[in-house]
Amino acid sequence: MRVLLTGGSACGKSTFAERIAVSAGEMRYYIAAMRPYDDEAFEKIARHRRERADKGFVTVERYMALSTLELQHRGVALLECICNLTANEMFNERGEATDPYEAVVGGVKALGERCDDLIVVTNDVGADMGDYSEQTRLYIEALGRINRELAAYCDCVLELVCGIPLVLKGEIPWSY
Amino acid sequence: MVLIIGSQASGKREYAMSLGYAECDMADAVLDERPVLYNLQDMVARAPECAPALLEALLEKQAVICNEVGSGIIPVNARDRSSREQTGRLCVLLAQRAERVVRLVCGIPMVIK
Repeated sequence: MRVLLTGGSACGKSTFAERIAVSAGEMRYYIAAMRPYDDEAFEKIARHRRERADKGFVTVERYMALSTLELQHRGVALLECICNLTANEMFNERGEATDPYEAVVGGVKALGERCDDLIVVTNDVGADMGDYSEQTRLYIEALGRINRELAAYCDCVLELVCGIPLVLKGEIPWSY
Repeated sequence: MVLIIGSQASGKREYAMSLGYAECDMADAVLDERPVLYNLQDMVARAPECAPALLEALLEKQAVICNEVGSGIIPVNARDRSSREQTGRLCVLLAQRAERVVRLVCGIPMVIK
């Protein structure tokens, strides 16, 4: 079963994703795509680690190239999140952009082949009216396109609103 | 408490009025004796780190109205980032304890809890 969770920042996606992962199976991987650059990122990572500390996840830090990621066992993989993965695949250290679509979508699908259940967290970044740079506009476009393909690929798509799951496609396969 | 959320200008206050509240029942981002509070996101923005302390007082309200502010590019400014995160987190806590949560989309109320 493959589930895509979307929603804005701080809408309860991570908590919900962890909860369904726990009811999905015993062997749980948490694939962390956030590459920390500053204290705020380290703090966010530490907070996420604390929140899932007693939930039995094996944490795998993987910022790019999911297609070559090997997991020791099948089981449940929770991938968080597509926004970070997309940025990592898209921009190099000099800030130059390349199209991340194949790397991200291909990577997620390859990961999907190597686990029994896949839970993918993404984010809705196209719903403001910011006056952004060309690079940021390209990122919003790329992420929107990736999200559409992942929604087509997944069996169930949920939007989290204030911690409440709204079903956009399929049915929620596990208890929460 | 009824939590009413939705994007800016999505019809949240109009919906509150359809529940029987008048303009004079609605407080703009201040805690006072009025039964409805709106623009919660502005209240959080004044002191984002203090947002969790607002929870109990907000639960005493009959209705709380808040903009959904988390769907966009993460702000460059640290304070804006924090304000956005704290608004989202506070809304998750409010939703857990609200009797009802209504989301407005183009003026259409969707009862999501």
